[in-house]
Amino acid sequence: MAPSLRPGKSRWRGLGQLSPWLLLVAGLLLVRFSKGAGFADAYALITRPFWPGPAQREWILSARTVEDQSRLQLLEQDNLRLRDLLELQRNGSRQDDVGAPVISRSPRGWWQQLELGKGALQGFQAGDAVLGPGGLVGRIASVTPATARVRLLTAPGHEIGVWLPRSRSHGLLVGRGSSRLTLQFIDKDPNVSPGDLVTTSPASTLLPPNVSVGVIQSLNERAVPSPTAIVQLIASPEAIDWVQVRTR
Amino acid sequence: MARLHRQPICVASALLVPLLVLGSPQWISIDGVGPAWALLWLLPWALTDGPISGAFAGLALGLILDGLSLGGVTQVPALLALGWWWGRLGRRGSQIHRSLNLGLLAWLGSVGLGLSVLLQVLIREGGSLDAFTQSWGWQTLWCQALMTGLLAPMLVSLQLLFWRRRVPS
Repeated sequence: MAPSLRPGKSRWRGLGQLSPWLLLVAGLLLVRFSKGAGFADAYALITRPFWPGPAQREWILSARTVEDQSRLQLLEQDNLRLRDLLELQRNGSRQDDVGAPVISRSPRGWWQQLELGKGALQGFQAGDAVLGPGGLVGRIASVTPATARVRLLTAPGHEIGVWLPRSRSHGLLVGRGSSRLTLQFIDKDPNVSPGDLVTTSPASTLLPPNVSVGVIQSLNERAVPSPTAIVQLIASPEAIDWVQVRTR
Repeated sequence: MARLHRQPICVASALLVPLLVLGSPQWISIDGVGPAWALLWLLPWALTDGPISGAFAGLALGLILDGLSLGGVTQVPALLALGWWWGRLGRRGSQIHRSLNLGLLAWLGSVGLGLSVLLQVLIREGGSLDAFTQSWGWQTLWCQALMTGLLAPMLVSLQLLFWRRRVPS
Protein backbone atom coordinates (compact mmCIF):
# COMPACT_ATOMS: atom_id res chain seq x y z
CA MET A 1 0.00 0.00 0.00
CA ALA A 2 1.39 3.40 -0.94
CA PRO A 3 2.08 5.83 1.93
CA SER A 4 -0.38 8.68 2.23
CA LEU A 5 0.66 12.10 1.09
CA ARG A 6 -1.44 13.75 3.83
CA PRO A 7 0.05 13.15 7.30
CA GLY A 8 -3.12 14.58 9.08
CA LYS A 9 -5.28 11.75 7.85
CA SER A 10 -3.07 9.12 9.49
CA ARG A 11 -3.28 11.12 12.76
CA TRP A 12 -7.09 10.97 12.67
CA ARG A 13 -6.95 7.30 11.93
CA GLY A 14 -4.79 6.83 15.03
CA LEU A 15 -7.29 8.70 17.08
CA GLY A 16 -10.09 6.61 15.62
CA GLN A 17 -8.26 3.50 16.75
CA LEU A 18 -7.88 4.97 20.21
CA SER A 19 -11.49 6.10 20.57
CA PRO A 20 -12.83 2.88 22.17
CA TRP A 21 -10.20 3.17 24.83
CA LEU A 22 -10.97 6.84 25.35
CA LEU A 23 -14.64 6.00 25.74
CA LEU A 24 -13.75 3.32 28.27
CA VAL A 25 -11.68 5.80 30.28
CA ALA A 26 -14.52 8.35 30.13
CA GLY A 27 -16.93 5.67 31.33
CA LEU A 28 -14.63 4.73 34.18
CA LEU A 29 -14.29 8.37 35.16
CA LEU A 30 -18.08 8.65 35.12
CA VAL A 31 -18.35 5.66 37.39
CA ARG A 32 -15.73 7.15 39.68
CA PHE A 33 -17.37 10.56 39.96
CA SER A 34 -20.91 9.18 40.31
CA LYS A 35 -19.68 7.04 43.22
CA GLY A 36 -20.52 3.89 41.32
CA ALA A 37 -24.20 4.80 41.04
CA GLY A 38 -24.89 2.65 38.01
CA PHE A 39 -23.23 -0.39 39.51
CA ALA A 40 -24.92 0.02 42.87
CA ASP A 41 -28.35 0.50 41.30
CA ALA A 42 -27.88 -2.47 39.00
CA TYR A 43 -26.73 -4.56 41.94
CA ALA A 44 -29.77 -3.50 43.94
CA LEU A 45 -32.05 -4.38 41.04
CA ILE A 46 -30.52 -7.81 40.53
CA THR A 47 -30.33 -8.78 44.20
CA ARG A 48 -33.80 -7.46 45.14
CA PRO A 49 -35.31 -10.98 45.46
CA PHE A 50 -32.66 -11.88 48.01
CA TRP A 51 -33.08 -8.87 50.26
CA PRO A 52 -33.95 -9.44 53.94
CA GLY A 53 -37.69 -10.08 54.11
CA PRO A 54 -40.32 -8.46 56.33
CA ALA A 55 -39.82 -11.16 58.97
CA GLN A 56 -36.31 -9.95 59.67
CA ARG A 57 -37.45 -6.33 59.71
CA GLU A 58 -40.20 -7.20 62.20
CA TRP A 59 -37.67 -9.03 64.33
CA ILE A 60 -35.53 -5.91 64.46
CA LEU A 61 -38.56 -3.72 65.19
CA SER A 62 -39.72 -6.07 67.92
CA ALA A 63 -36.25 -5.99 69.49
CA ARG A 64 -36.36 -2.21 69.36
CA THR A 65 -39.81 -2.20 70.99
CA VAL A 66 -38.57 -4.43 73.79
CA GLU A 67 -35.62 -2.12 74.26
CA ASP A 68 -37.92 0.94 74.32
CA GLN A 69 -40.27 -0.72 76.80
CA SER A 70 -37.51 -1.67 79.19
CA ARG A 71 -36.11 1.84 78.91
CA LEU A 72 -39.57 3.28 79.57
CA GLN A 73 -39.97 1.05 82.61
CA LEU A 74 -36.66 2.23 84.02
CA LEU A 75 -37.61 5.84 83.38
CA GLU A 76 -41.00 5.36 85.04
CA GLN A 77 -39.38 3.86 88.10
CA ASP A 78 -36.97 6.77 88.16
CA ASN A 79 -39.86 9.18 87.72
CA LEU A 80 -41.83 7.64 90.59
CA ARG A 81 -38.79 7.80 92.84
CA LEU A 82 -38.32 11.48 92.00
CA ARG A 83 -42.03 12.19 92.50
CA ASP A 84 -41.79 10.58 95.92
CA LEU A 85 -38.87 12.83 96.71
CA LEU A 86 -40.87 15.86 95.58
CA GLU A 87 -43.94 14.58 97.46
CA LEU A 88 -46.10 14.83 94.31
CA GLN A 89 -49.08 12.62 93.50
CA ARG A 90 -47.98 9.08 92.76
CA ASN A 91 -50.85 7.84 90.62
CA GLY A 92 -48.97 8.03 87.33
CA SER A 93 -47.94 4.43 87.18
CA ARG A 94 -49.29 1.98 84.67
CA GLN A 95 -49.75 -0.63 87.36
CA ASP A 96 -53.09 1.03 88.21
CA ASP A 97 -54.46 0.65 84.65
CA VAL A 98 -57.46 -1.62 84.16
CA GLY A 99 -58.46 -2.58 80.63
CA ALA A 100 -62.15 -2.18 79.77
CA PRO A 101 -64.09 -2.89 76.56
CA VAL A 102 -66.07 -0.13 74.88
CA ILE A 103 -69.64 -1.49 74.65
CA SER A 104 -71.30 1.63 73.27
CA ARG A 105 -69.90 4.74 71.71
CA SER A 106 -71.22 8.03 70.46
CA PRO A 107 -68.19 10.17 69.66
CA ARG A 108 -70.36 12.58 67.66
CA GLY A 109 -73.84 13.88 68.25
CA TRP A 110 -75.30 15.78 71.20
CA TRP A 111 -73.73 13.62 73.89
CA GLN A 112 -70.15 12.54 73.29
CA GLN A 113 -69.59 9.57 75.49
CA LEU A 114 -68.41 5.98 75.72
CA GLU A 115 -69.98 3.19 77.70
CA LEU A 116 -67.48 0.74 79.20
CA GLY A 117 -68.13 -2.89 80.07
CA LYS A 118 -66.61 -2.60 83.55
CA GLY A 119 -67.69 -0.50 86.49
CA ALA A 120 -67.67 -0.04 90.22
CA LEU A 121 -67.03 -3.75 90.82
CA GLN A 122 -63.65 -3.35 89.13
CA GLY A 123 -62.86 -0.30 91.27
CA PHE A 124 -63.84 2.40 88.77
CA GLN A 125 -65.15 5.67 90.14
CA ALA A 126 -66.27 8.99 88.74
CA GLY A 127 -63.31 11.14 87.76
CA ASP A 128 -60.96 8.29 86.80
CA ALA A 129 -58.91 9.00 83.70
CA VAL A 130 -59.60 6.93 80.58
CA LEU A 131 -56.73 6.34 78.18
CA GLY A 132 -56.70 4.99 74.66
CA PRO A 133 -53.84 4.26 72.29
CA GLY A 134 -52.18 7.64 72.00
CA GLY A 135 -53.22 9.27 75.22
CA LEU A 136 -56.07 10.62 77.30
CA VAL A 137 -59.58 10.08 75.89
CA GLY A 138 -61.80 11.36 78.69
CA ARG A 139 -62.88 10.90 82.27
CA ILE A 140 -65.46 8.64 83.86
CA ALA A 141 -68.65 10.61 84.49
CA SER A 142 -70.67 7.96 86.28
CA VAL A 143 -70.49 4.28 87.15
CA THR A 144 -72.87 1.40 87.71
CA PRO A 145 -71.71 -1.92 89.20
CA ALA A 146 -70.98 -3.33 85.72
CA THR A 147 -70.59 -0.30 83.46
CA ALA A 148 -68.98 3.11 83.38
CA ARG A 149 -69.89 6.17 81.33
CA VAL A 150 -67.02 8.22 79.95
CA ARG A 151 -67.31 11.89 79.10
CA LEU A 152 -65.01 12.38 76.14
CA LEU A 153 -62.60 15.29 76.03
CA THR A 154 -64.39 16.42 72.88
CA ALA A 155 -67.73 16.88 74.66
CA PRO A 156 -68.77 20.54 74.50
CA GLY A 157 -67.90 22.33 77.71
CA HIS A 158 -65.63 19.58 79.04
CA GLU A 159 -62.60 21.31 80.57
CA ILE A 160 -59.29 19.96 81.85
CA GLY A 161 -56.06 21.63 82.83
CA VAL A 162 -53.12 20.76 80.59
CA TRP A 163 -49.40 21.37 80.38
CA LEU A 164 -47.10 22.17 77.48
CA PRO A 165 -43.75 20.52 78.23
CA ARG A 166 -41.69 22.49 75.68
CA SER A 167 -42.74 25.96 76.78
CA ARG A 168 -43.47 24.85 80.36
CA SER A 169 -46.82 26.65 80.41
CA HIS A 170 -50.31 25.79 81.60
CA GLY A 171 -53.62 26.02 79.74
CA LEU A 172 -57.25 25.02 79.87
CA LEU A 173 -58.38 22.53 77.25
CA VAL A 174 -62.07 22.92 76.35
CA GLY A 175 -64.14 20.47 74.29
CA ARG A 176 -65.98 21.95 71.32
CA GLY A 177 -67.82 18.95 69.90
CA SER A 178 -65.21 17.94 67.30
CA SER A 179 -61.84 16.22 67.57
CA ARG A 180 -60.24 19.66 67.60
CA LEU A 181 -60.30 21.25 71.01
CA THR A 182 -59.64 24.81 72.11
CA LEU A 183 -56.71 25.48 74.38
CA GLN A 184 -57.03 28.68 76.39
CA PHE A 185 -53.75 29.95 77.72
CA ILE A 186 -53.36 31.66 81.03
CA ASP A 187 -50.26 33.67 80.04
CA LYS A 188 -50.39 36.51 77.54
CA ASP A 189 -47.28 35.18 75.84
CA PRO A 190 -47.40 31.38 76.05
CA ASN A 191 -44.42 30.85 73.72
CA VAL A 192 -45.92 27.88 71.89
CA SER A 193 -45.94 26.91 68.25
CA PRO A 194 -47.84 24.44 66.06
CA GLY A 195 -46.59 20.91 66.62
CA ASP A 196 -46.05 21.29 70.36
CA LEU A 197 -47.17 18.37 72.50
CA VAL A 198 -49.97 18.89 75.05
CA THR A 199 -49.96 16.67 78.14
CA THR A 200 -51.59 16.54 81.52
CA SER A 201 -49.83 18.57 84.15
CA PRO A 202 -46.93 16.85 85.97
CA ALA A 203 -48.37 18.21 89.23
CA SER A 204 -52.00 17.32 88.48
CA THR A 205 -54.05 15.85 91.29
CA LEU A 206 -57.23 15.19 89.26
CA LEU A 207 -55.62 13.45 86.29
CA PRO A 208 -52.61 11.17 85.98
CA PRO A 209 -49.53 13.32 85.38
CA ASN A 210 -47.61 13.46 82.10
CA VAL A 211 -50.15 11.70 79.90
CA SER A 212 -50.12 12.88 76.31
CA VAL A 213 -53.34 14.53 75.15
CA GLY A 214 -52.84 16.16 71.76
CA VAL A 215 -50.77 18.30 69.47
CA ILE A 216 -51.18 22.02 68.81
CA GLN A 217 -52.42 22.62 65.27
CA SER A 218 -52.73 26.36 65.09
CA LEU A 219 -52.37 29.37 67.33
CA ASN A 220 -54.52 32.48 67.60
CA GLU A 221 -52.37 35.09 69.31
CA ARG A 222 -54.94 37.85 68.81
CA ALA A 223 -57.63 36.18 70.93
CA VAL A 224 -58.94 38.19 73.86
CA PRO A 225 -58.26 38.09 76.82
CA SER A 226 -55.44 35.59 76.20
CA PRO A 227 -54.18 33.59 73.20
CA THR A 228 -55.91 30.37 72.22
CA ALA A 229 -54.83 27.37 70.20
CA ILE A 230 -56.51 24.52 68.37
CA VAL A 231 -55.42 21.11 69.62
CA GLN A 232 -55.81 17.88 67.69
CA LEU A 233 -56.34 14.87 69.95
CA ILE A 234 -53.87 12.02 69.58
CA ALA A 235 -56.24 9.25 70.67
CA SER A 236 -59.26 8.86 68.41
CA PRO A 237 -62.42 7.73 70.26
CA GLU A 238 -64.05 6.66 66.98
CA ALA A 239 -61.62 3.79 66.56
CA ILE A 240 -61.10 2.51 70.09
CA ASP A 241 -62.47 -0.87 71.14
CA TRP A 242 -60.57 -1.14 74.42
CA VAL A 243 -59.46 1.55 76.81
CA GLN A 244 -57.33 1.66 79.93
CA VAL A 245 -58.87 3.17 83.04
CA ARG A 246 -56.35 4.55 85.49
CA THR A 247 -57.97 3.92 88.86
CA ARG A 248 -57.18 6.02 91.91
CA MET B 1 -111.01 5.03 71.09
CA ALA B 2 -107.52 3.64 70.53
CA ARG B 3 -105.90 1.85 73.42
CA LEU B 4 -102.38 1.19 72.28
CA HIS B 5 -100.97 1.76 75.74
CA ARG B 6 -102.95 -1.19 77.09
CA GLN B 7 -101.18 -3.65 74.84
CA PRO B 8 -98.01 -4.88 76.56
CA ILE B 9 -96.30 -5.85 73.31
CA CYS B 10 -96.72 -2.32 71.94
CA VAL B 11 -95.47 -0.74 75.15
CA ALA B 12 -92.54 -3.16 75.24
CA SER B 13 -91.51 -2.07 71.75
CA ALA B 14 -90.37 1.21 73.35
CA LEU B 15 -87.45 -0.75 74.81
CA LEU B 16 -85.96 -0.81 71.32
CA VAL B 17 -85.30 2.92 71.61
CA PRO B 18 -82.69 2.82 74.41
CA LEU B 19 -81.18 -0.30 72.83
CA LEU B 20 -80.77 1.48 69.50
CA VAL B 21 -79.42 4.59 71.22
CA LEU B 22 -76.82 2.50 73.04
CA GLY B 23 -76.03 0.43 69.95
CA SER B 24 -75.79 3.58 67.79
CA PRO B 25 -75.09 1.70 64.53
CA GLN B 26 -72.49 3.70 62.64
CA TRP B 27 -73.75 2.59 59.25
CA ILE B 28 -77.00 4.50 59.86
CA SER B 29 -75.38 7.85 60.40
CA ILE B 30 -74.15 10.95 58.65
CA ASP B 31 -70.72 12.03 59.83
CA GLY B 32 -71.20 9.89 62.94
CA VAL B 33 -74.57 11.43 63.83
CA GLY B 34 -77.42 8.93 63.88
CA PRO B 35 -81.18 9.55 63.72
CA ALA B 36 -83.31 10.52 66.71
CA TRP B 37 -84.54 6.98 67.46
CA ALA B 38 -86.92 8.26 70.13
CA LEU B 39 -88.82 10.31 67.54
CA LEU B 40 -89.08 7.38 65.15
CA TRP B 41 -90.93 5.46 67.86
CA LEU B 42 -92.84 8.37 69.35
CA LEU B 43 -94.35 9.66 66.09
CA PRO B 44 -96.43 6.56 65.23
CA TRP B 45 -97.28 6.02 68.89
CA ALA B 46 -98.66 9.52 69.35
CA LEU B 47 -100.47 9.50 65.99
CA THR B 48 -102.19 6.27 66.96
CA ASP B 49 -102.79 6.74 70.68
CA GLY B 50 -103.56 10.42 71.11
CA PRO B 51 -102.08 13.49 72.79
CA ILE B 52 -102.14 12.40 76.43
CA SER B 53 -100.60 9.03 75.73
CA GLY B 54 -98.14 10.70 73.34
CA ALA B 55 -97.08 13.26 75.92
CA PHE B 56 -96.69 10.57 78.56
CA ALA B 57 -94.67 8.39 76.18
CA GLY B 58 -92.49 11.40 75.35
CA LEU B 59 -91.92 12.07 79.04
CA ALA B 60 -91.06 8.43 79.73
CA LEU B 61 -88.68 8.19 76.76
CA GLY B 62 -87.07 11.49 77.69
CA LEU B 63 -86.41 10.32 81.23
CA ILE B 64 -84.91 7.04 80.02
CA LEU B 65 -82.69 8.77 77.44
CA ASP B 66 -81.58 11.41 79.95
CA GLY B 67 -80.53 8.54 82.20
CA LEU B 68 -78.47 7.05 79.39
CA SER B 69 -76.65 10.22 78.42
CA LEU B 70 -74.33 12.65 80.10
CA GLY B 71 -76.09 15.22 82.26
CA GLY B 72 -76.45 18.92 81.66
CA VAL B 73 -79.01 18.84 78.86
CA THR B 74 -82.42 17.17 78.84
CA GLN B 75 -84.65 15.88 76.04
CA VAL B 76 -87.78 15.70 78.18
CA PRO B 77 -89.45 19.05 77.27
CA ALA B 78 -89.03 18.54 73.52
CA LEU B 79 -90.22 14.91 73.54
CA LEU B 80 -93.19 15.75 75.77
CA ALA B 81 -94.26 18.62 73.53
CA LEU B 82 -93.79 16.57 70.35
CA GLY B 83 -95.80 13.66 71.79
CA TRP B 84 -98.64 16.05 72.60
CA TRP B 85 -98.52 17.79 69.19
CA TRP B 86 -98.37 14.60 67.15
CA GLY B 87 -101.14 13.10 69.27
CA ARG B 88 -103.39 16.07 68.48
CA LEU B 89 -102.55 15.79 64.79
CA GLY B 90 -103.51 12.11 64.88
CA ARG B 91 -106.88 12.90 66.44
CA ARG B 92 -107.75 15.64 63.98
CA GLY B 93 -109.21 15.02 60.58
CA SER B 94 -108.07 12.25 58.30
CA GLN B 95 -105.37 9.78 59.24
CA ILE B 96 -101.80 10.70 58.35
CA HIS B 97 -100.22 7.85 56.47
CA ARG B 98 -98.42 9.32 53.48
CA SER B 99 -94.70 8.72 53.56
CA LEU B 100 -93.85 12.31 52.74
CA ASN B 101 -96.04 13.63 55.56
CA LEU B 102 -94.48 11.22 58.04
CA GLY B 103 -90.98 12.14 56.88
CA LEU B 104 -91.77 15.84 57.18
CA LEU B 105 -93.26 15.45 60.68
CA ALA B 106 -90.23 13.46 61.84
CA TRP B 107 -87.88 16.01 60.28
CA LEU B 108 -89.68 18.88 62.01
CA GLY B 109 -89.62 16.98 65.29
CA SER B 110 -85.91 16.33 64.99
CA VAL B 111 -85.23 20.00 64.25
CA GLY B 112 -87.33 20.94 67.30
CA LEU B 113 -85.47 18.46 69.49
CA GLY B 114 -82.12 19.73 68.23
CA LEU B 115 -83.10 23.35 68.81
CA SER B 116 -84.16 22.58 72.37
CA VAL B 117 -80.81 20.89 73.06
CA LEU B 118 -78.90 23.72 71.41
CA LEU B 119 -80.84 26.28 73.42
CA GLN B 120 -79.94 24.49 76.64
CA VAL B 121 -76.27 24.39 75.62
CA LEU B 122 -76.48 28.12 74.88
CA ILE B 123 -77.95 28.84 78.32
CA ARG B 124 -75.37 26.60 80.00
CA GLU B 125 -72.52 28.41 78.23
CA GLY B 126 -73.76 31.75 79.49
CA GLY B 127 -75.68 33.04 76.47
CA SER B 128 -73.01 32.91 73.79
CA LEU B 129 -71.42 30.12 71.80
CA ASP B 130 -68.04 30.29 70.10
CA ALA B 131 -67.73 29.51 66.40
CA PHE B 132 -66.61 25.90 66.93
CA THR B 133 -69.51 25.03 69.23
CA GLN B 134 -71.99 26.74 66.90
CA SER B 135 -70.64 24.78 63.97
CA TRP B 136 -70.88 21.52 65.92
CA GLY B 137 -74.41 22.33 67.06
CA TRP B 138 -75.82 23.16 63.64
CA GLN B 139 -74.03 20.26 61.97
CA THR B 140 -75.39 17.79 64.54
CA LEU B 141 -78.88 19.27 64.26
CA TRP B 142 -79.07 19.06 60.47
CA CYS B 143 -77.41 15.64 60.22
CA GLN B 144 -79.80 14.18 62.78
CA ALA B 145 -82.83 15.82 61.18
CA LEU B 146 -81.85 14.50 57.76
CA MET B 147 -81.32 10.95 59.02
CA THR B 148 -84.59 11.00 60.98
CA GLY B 149 -86.51 12.43 58.03
CA LEU B 150 -85.06 9.82 55.68
CA LEU B 151 -85.77 6.85 57.93
CA ALA B 152 -89.23 7.97 59.04
CA PRO B 153 -91.21 7.11 55.88
CA MET B 154 -90.01 3.52 56.13
CA LEU B 155 -89.97 2.81 59.86
CA VAL B 156 -92.90 4.99 60.96
CA SER B 157 -95.13 3.66 58.15
CA LEU B 158 -94.43 0.09 59.25
CA GLN B 159 -95.18 0.84 62.88
CA LEU B 160 -98.36 2.70 61.97
CA LEU B 161 -99.45 -0.26 59.88
CA PHE B 162 -98.91 -2.74 62.71
CA TRP B 163 -100.37 -0.59 65.46
CA ARG B 164 -103.45 0.53 63.53
CA ARG B 165 -104.21 -3.10 62.80
CA ARG B 166 -104.04 -3.90 66.51
CA VAL B 167 -106.15 -0.93 67.60
CA PRO B 168 -108.46 0.10 64.79
CA SER B 169 -109.85 3.53 65.59
